[in-house]
Amino acid sequence: MIIDAYFFFRILVFPGFLFVFSFTLFCDWFERKAIARMQNRMGPSYAGPFGILQPLADCIKLMTKEDIIPENAERFVLSLAPILSFSLLMLSILYFPLDGVNAFSNSGFEGDLLLVLALVTFANFMLFLLGWSSSNPYSGIGAVRILTQFVGYDIPLTILALGPAFMAGSLSLAKIASAQKVPFALAIPWVFVFFLIALQAELEEDPFDTPHAETEIVAGYGTELTGRKLAFVRLSKDLQVVFGAALTADLFLGGPYGPIAFGLGSFVIWFVLKVLFVIFLLVFVKAICARLRIDQIVRVNWRLMIPLSLISLALTAIYVPFAKFELGGLRVEKG
Amino acid sequence: MLTEVASSLFRKPSTYQYPFVKSKVPEGARGRQVFHPERCINCGLCARDCPAGAIEMVDVSGKKMPLIHLESCIFCYVCVENCPRNALTESTFYELASAEKESLLLRPTETEESAKTTGGC
Amino acid sequence: MIPKEEEIRDLISGRLGVGVLEHKIPEPRRLYVLVKAGFHRDAISILLERFASTTISTITGIDLGEDIELNYHLWCGKAEVTVKTRLPKTKPQVETVTDIMPGAALYEREVFELLGVRFLGHPDLRRLLLPDSWPEGQYPLRNDWNPELFNIDSVSVEDLQIDADGNSTVNVVIGPQHPALHEPERFIFKLDGEVVVDVEPRLGYAHRGIEKGAEQLMFFQATHMIERICGICNVAHATCFCQAVESIGKIEIPPRAKYLRTIVHELNRIHSHLLLLGVAGMEIGFETLFQYLWRDREVVLDLMEKMTGNRIMAEYSAIGGVRRDFDQVLGEEVKKGLAAIKKRIDFYKNLLNNDPTFGLRTRGVGVLKAPAALKLSVVGPVARGSGIKMDVRKHDPYAAYDEIPFEEVAYEEGDSWARFMVRLDEVAQSVDIITYAIEKLPSGPYRTRVPRRMPEGESLGRVEAPRGELVHYVKSNGTAYPQRVKIRSPTLANIISFREMIRGCYIADIPTVLISLDPCFSCTDRMTFVDLNDGRKWFWSMEDIKKRRFEKR
Repeated sequence: MIIDAYFFFRILVFPGFLFVFSFTLFCDWFERKAIARMQNRMGPSYAGPFGILQPLADCIKLMTKEDIIPENAERFVLSLAPILSFSLLMLSILYFPLDGVNAFSNSGFEGDLLLVLALVTFANFMLFLLGWSSSNPYSGIGAVRILTQFVGYDIPLTILALGPAFMAGSLSLAKIASAQKVPFALAIPWVFVFFLIALQAELEEDPFDTPHAETEIVAGYGTELTGRKLAFVRLSKDLQVVFGAALTADLFLGGPYGPIAFGLGSFVIWFVLKVLFVIFLLVFVKAICARLRIDQIVRVNWRLMIPLSLISLALTAIYVPFAKFELGGLRVEKG
Repeated sequence: MLTEVASSLFRKPSTYQYPFVKSKVPEGARGRQVFHPERCINCGLCARDCPAGAIEMVDVSGKKMPLIHLESCIFCYVCVENCPRNALTESTFYELASAEKESLLLRPTETEESAKTTGGC
Repeated sequence: MIPKEEEIRDLISGRLGVGVLEHKIPEPRRLYVLVKAGFHRDAISILLERFASTTISTITGIDLGEDIELNYHLWCGKAEVTVKTRLPKTKPQVETVTDIMPGAALYEREVFELLGVRFLGHPDLRRLLLPDSWPEGQYPLRNDWNPELFNIDSVSVEDLQIDADGNSTVNVVIGPQHPALHEPERFIFKLDGEVVVDVEPRLGYAHRGIEKGAEQLMFFQATHMIERICGICNVAHATCFCQAVESIGKIEIPPRAKYLRTIVHELNRIHSHLLLLGVAGMEIGFETLFQYLWRDREVVLDLMEKMTGNRIMAEYSAIGGVRRDFDQVLGEEVKKGLAAIKKRIDFYKNLLNNDPTFGLRTRGVGVLKAPAALKLSVVGPVARGSGIKMDVRKHDPYAAYDEIPFEEVAYEEGDSWARFMVRLDEVAQSVDIITYAIEKLPSGPYRTRVPRRMPEGESLGRVEAPRGELVHYVKSNGTAYPQRVKIRSPTLANIISFREMIRGCYIADIPTVLISLDPCFSCTDRMTFVDLNDGRKWFWSMEDIKKRRFEKR
């Protein structure tokens, strides 16, 4: 890793900070437009062509609003948590091989899958701290809910993420992506389906919407947020969705590698398309479900998801040798 | 539900993009009243019967005629019904939102044409 | 066949003997009995003994100058019986009836705070609608009270008096502003973790002074004010008031008007139920359902606009009939719109029956079993969702309902799911009723002209509003202005059951259960108007408001 101007360009502009930032805003627009059309209404339409600048407009507007901190709240934690969660998520996305290689101009290292999952857990923990330090009963309930939910569902998520790792024989994001001659979503579909469900719970989308359930506890952990803090928390939420979709695309859909390579930029374009596809699937599930209660969510996790994820991991482990034989030509690297 | 949501993706959204697209208002819709001063016999029944007290009888060249305060009016049309000479008639003009209170008055001296068009911001 | 009213009168007279001072039966299914002081409990007990399904509609208090008259309006399955008793104003106290009829608790509190009558033995005689810091001794509904007597400086912005218990329960306040509520109310929930242990509702935030205000307007003007009690069930309020006044004035409306009133009433019911089911979807997080239902509701709003001139505030009923006519072309349009709605109802029925997430959130949540429902005197879809068949259109028909065949919908489960299904089925029934009414519409005039002055008398109007039984009691003293108007809207009867339902449920069930009751707090609070502002206090009389209206800002 040579630290020069090109390095900074990759970190800050492409495929680093600026690219991920604008891509997040684009995905936010995509999500809102998709769910609006599913609900037979228009979605963002007026800010820019087809409303594409709407998320940017929301961001700018929030930055200019007054920032109110309640008297009894922990000022330091309340102000730090949104920024920290945003930065941690941004850092973890930089490890994805968006461009064939990740933003640090190398192919990552063994274990960066686990690093990325750990960073995201920290980022979610920041949101819990946000709710807990707000000195508001609604925020307190929301904070407890988010802790219950993401800590609970992190377990099946990590277990299921090891499925592709078994198949590829490696814990490196780049190697898992490049090992997929046939996308793992088709090779080990059972892991893919459960992973999507666990991901929906991590991202707090319907039916696992409880931490910020609007009609029950106002805005959950985000009740006392205003102005810039709210802008950062919303950005973090959107970043989290992009992160989840990128993880799925990398682990199960083959990352930046597509059947047709068309020269410069084809890696990025394939990656973007796959991320949008996963987001569309998640939004579809969001549109057809109501919100479950927290006790139902917890029950689903401990009684259903964890046993199922352990079983599917075991099945995958047994399946690996057959896969090498049947699907022929899985590029697996040892060590 | 699955099929409904999937098919909604391909349907045109059922949003009316007001004010670029205005929906057709049916004939009987209760909009702003229209006053015909030549028919008025200055009896004051409209002002007396208004449930909201929105009609004030003002002096117009020696005779008393109704001035309707549209910001208090509830558009119930009791005045239209009770006027013995049909001096107050209905219309479907409903775009009355305004930033100034003065434009929310239906003056007895306005002609029918100008009454139809004023009352917007 | 002896009519039930006479049977009841004879029963009460026979048992109470000299306790009964007067009685009258002015129209079918209405009996008024005036009993001596102290005999009202016996009269109510006799009714409860004879008819097990007696429920109390409301308690009206009237200031008659030297006495205060208390009217206990009870529905005993076949007729509405009003037990009247008079108390001297100098010593206004009377025994409570809450031990034999728990459903009367809120009504006694209302009469206590507005007229100053003490109910001895009431378990919790506190203010219901006025703020906690309202000065003692001021009873707004008494004739000698007017807003000038009120000293604004004696009222302070109320502080929340939440007693901290020693145990681990946490008090969470929901309201007055909260995304789950569509109108402001305050609920104080006592929670143990995520489980609700108890709740205390505090009403009165949308208090507007309509009962006292209606005494200042003439009958035909008051109709418009009464209609604005609630936007969603406005046709029910107007119909009820007009019926009560027509029965005082012995006015017979033409049959065409009866059918037309029925049509608008049922259209209003469809609108209200679709709105509520959409809101229910939103409360449980099912946004897609909310958007679809509200899109389908637009059809009804367009039909209302074609028929009455306005999308929501119909202003269609007047004393003496309806204000507009209805032609065949419009009839065909209405039938077409309704056919489209009927198709969508099948889709929603399928969805509510089979969708797994909807079922998880609403089945078994907020259960109210039939015996509890009867004791608490709940009305409308809440009662019918618990298996109690209580529909004013069937048992006490008004307008054209005695000539139109329809089914009364009831479900046995008593949970939130049952209450939603009742409303969905009622929409299907309403579509059939309207179609029948359009086809069988009689010809003739649609309105009779009525005098402004009404003869002396009193009457009770009852209609089935979308939320349940709505009661208007109107008393006239021979002028063009009503002497007393008492309104008991269905939500007030149902709110007392919220406590029963929510015990043992989770926080997440609170919006679901609350919405399944269909609370319309605009209907519930309508009394004297007090304007408060924190820090700054000022006071506008009616003259001040009128002056401000006409001047420049």
